[in-house]
Amino acid sequence: MENDKPLILVHSQMKYFASTSTEGINIMLTPQFYTIKRESLPVQYTYQAKRIAASLFEGLLENTQNYQYLILKEVDTWLFIAYDIEKIKSFLTSKGLHLTNISKMYFAEQSIEKFKAPILLGDKDALVNLDGTMTVIPQIVLQADEIPKKIDKSFTPKKGLVLEVRSKAFLSNTEAYVLAALLVLFSVIYFIEGSRYGGEDAVQNAQMKRLLENYPSLENNYKRESIANKYKAIDEKERKKRDVIKSLSHMIFKGSILTSLALNDKGFQAHFSCKDVSVSKKLKDLAKKEKLNISQISKSRDLKIEGKL
Amino acid sequence: MTQQLKAYKNEIIVALALLLLIIALSYKHQKVSSINNEKSGATSSLQELKEVIALKKVWGDKKITKKVQSLQKIVSPSKIKWSLKGKKLTATFKNLSNQEFNRIMVKIMNFAVEIQKLDVRKTGTSYQMEFKCKW
Repeated sequence: MENDKPLILVHSQMKYFASTSTEGINIMLTPQFYTIKRESLPVQYTYQAKRIAASLFEGLLENTQNYQYLILKEVDTWLFIAYDIEKIKSFLTSKGLHLTNISKMYFAEQSIEKFKAPILLGDKDALVNLDGTMTVIPQIVLQADEIPKKIDKSFTPKKGLVLEVRSKAFLSNTEAYVLAALLVLFSVIYFIEGSRYGGEDAVQNAQMKRLLENYPSLENNYKRESIANKYKAIDEKERKKRDVIKSLSHMIFKGSILTSLALNDKGFQAHFSCKDVSVSKKLKDLAKKEKLNISQISKSRDLKIEGKL
Repeated sequence: MTQQLKAYKNEIIVALALLLLIIALSYKHQKVSSINNEKSGATSSLQELKEVIALKKVWGDKKITKKVQSLQKIVSPSKIKWSLKGKKLTATFKNLSNQEFNRIMVKIMNFAVEIQKLDVRKTGTSYQMEFKCKW
């Protein structure tokens, strides 16, 4: 918890902070590091107040561009705190405070109700609640009955600022959170896509189931394979026979007569009688086209076509 | 959190988110590839089953005996010598005209039977034919 961390009051007279601890700390800044303005404005939301923050400090601050603003809603007014973060960082570093060790940064003005007694700042100054505004005054003006108090964790306000450490980090908080959010969003999309993928094969499974219901004998893989092998062999062989018959039927035309055909499981032999040389030539060409083995029967124009199956 | 880690807090957040993205992406790819493998296996099984069914329908046709017997009706009985034993047929056709021969050949070509022997001889203008098959 942020409120459980030690709260260090940062003021211009503070001594060098020689802690080597890597544990986080909270810091509270004195008015030496910020400027405040309390205004009663007819705005309802912080973002509306933030728009006019810079204009409120015009003439009050040297260069408003270097400043950032913390805006808090009080009972009837808006509290505007202007601070130069680079100056603050530079001061903290010069006092040995590692920026990476700082969990939250607060302003003394945020805990005004807790400052019921002065807080001594070094040997000369003191931090007091002067008419509702935190002010640094010389210690000599403190009344004798005012007993100084020390700051502790109980002064830690609810809302604090996180210091962006730009010296080492490549990404700002906003950039990192936006990028991380995008990456997480895509991750979620991919996870959802992955988990939803795969419903499309239901149609195939249903079709498979329906076919197996109609042909229960094919449910067994071995039986199915055996049937497939048996019929594939028959199919292949019988198709070849029919292809040969079909090819030979294309060779019957005017002048070409099929005089005999013998076909069995091993092969085939066909005898064609040709009317003249031109028919014989045409038949040869056709046989070549059909990739059939053709030969001329000696001393005649007849042709023999044979082959294996 | 150590000082060094805190300094790179933003980068660590982004790196963790990136790691999550990589895990999500690999999960999706793994799921897609495993589903695709399953799907391709299921597709090939279905294809194979359809092929076996188609082959069985053609070559295991139970009505083929009746169909084969229709060969007798094409020509007059005097031209046929018919011997059907179980699922084996030996048929001898004599004096077939061109038309008769063509019709018989077309029928034989379309029957899902195993042709064991087909002998055709032309004598003059007619055809003699011996046909043996089984199913």
